[in-house]
Amino acid sequence: MTVVPAAQTGGGGGTSGLYDVLELVLDRGLVIDAFVRVSLVGIEILKIDVRVVVASVDTYLRFAEACNRLDLEAGKKARPGLPEMVGEITESGARQKTKGALSGAAQTVQDAIGSVREKAEQAAADGARARRPEGTRRAKAEEKREEEQE
Amino acid sequence: MSTYVYGIARRAHRSLPDGMEGIGDPPRPVRIVAEGELAAIVSEAPEGLRPKRSDLLAHQRVLSEAGAAGPVLPMRFGSIAPDDEAVRHVLQERAGHYVERLRTLEGKVEYNVKAVHNEEAVLHRVMAENPEIRAMTESNRKAGGGSYEDRLRLGEMVVAALQTREAADAVELQHTLEPVADAVSVGPESTGWVANVSFLVNQDSAEQFLAAVEEVRKSHPYLELRVNGPLPPYSFVEPGPSEPAEATASASAE
Repeated sequence: MTVVPAAQTGGGGGTSGLYDVLELVLDRGLVIDAFVRVSLVGIEILKIDVRVVVASVDTYLRFAEACNRLDLEAGKKARPGLPEMVGEITESGARQKTKGALSGAAQTVQDAIGSVREKAEQAAADGARARRPEGTRRAKAEEKREEEQE
Repeated sequence: MSTYVYGIARRAHRSLPDGMEGIGDPPRPVRIVAEGELAAIVSEAPEGLRPKRSDLLAHQRVLSEAGAAGPVLPMRFGSIAPDDEAVRHVLQERAGHYVERLRTLEGKVEYNVKAVHNEEAVLHRVMAENPEIRAMTESNRKAGGGSYEDRLRLGEMVVAALQTREAADAVELQHTLEPVADAVSVGPESTGWVANVSFLVNQDSAEQFLAAVEEVRKSHPYLELRVNGPLPPYSFVEPGPSEPAEATASASAE
């Protein structure tokens, strides 16, 4: 059975546990009203979609398909509840699932942080290069017009 | 110059992370601001601070380091005081409360447990529990996947069964681990977890707690568990509700 070891977050600062801990750092902890807090605009992305399995036609069809692909014989032999058998079956799948879920969360966080950073950079660059994005856009628009004319 | 606050500890704390690298680029050195019985772990606040990955990491690292040697009340990320004097003022004004919290949390750490279903394994489980679903899967398969309506009906039943399992597993997980913890806090709602629960655990019974987690792993082989800890007790510092992020002002506004 894939056992994800307890991430030893003490002092080491490894990144594997960071995304699991991140929400606690951002959402929990002492808040003192006499202090100002950094704006977390964009981080709210983290707090959506509580349920894993959502009831929708798409999900229904996806799970019908998953059942269709499921190795029923393996399941019968395994008799879910007997760890060693189920363990074997899930070994590879489990690893993939965990990885997927985690990198997904990581992505969300990166996106959130990225978008915040982009905004900050854009604001900083506003003075000097205000014309440039506009110019690029105009150039593209002209290109398009040319294409249309052709 | 404004002051970034990491956490609050006792002045008599055995090893305050004085001089450690804190947030910012370059990292601002961590200092201690003491007042009466208490000490705040602080550094200079970098201008225009944002929740960047490296800064979140630094915040967590400083607190982990401090928490390893004695109780610390971890601040939520991004708390900034106008200056050291304001920090001292808060420590003085609310000394009674913080000293009480530090006493309560002495020798205790947070473990955050997250659970997801392994899809294939949990589907096997659902099949075993629901003969009707299994029968419908078999008949759909014989019919080359079944009609659109057949697939929809099977999918709907499977989803309902999975949701029931999710809810039941979240409750079972919590009930199994609760007796070996001092307090429980259901974690922030975030994407894609069957359960996301934090437990306040006595450092002396950490082994028992982890053994109980192993028990859940064995009894629920279709459940993937991720355990993070020992952590500073983020979820247990304040009994009251936390402020929503929208209500807080921007740091760059000074």
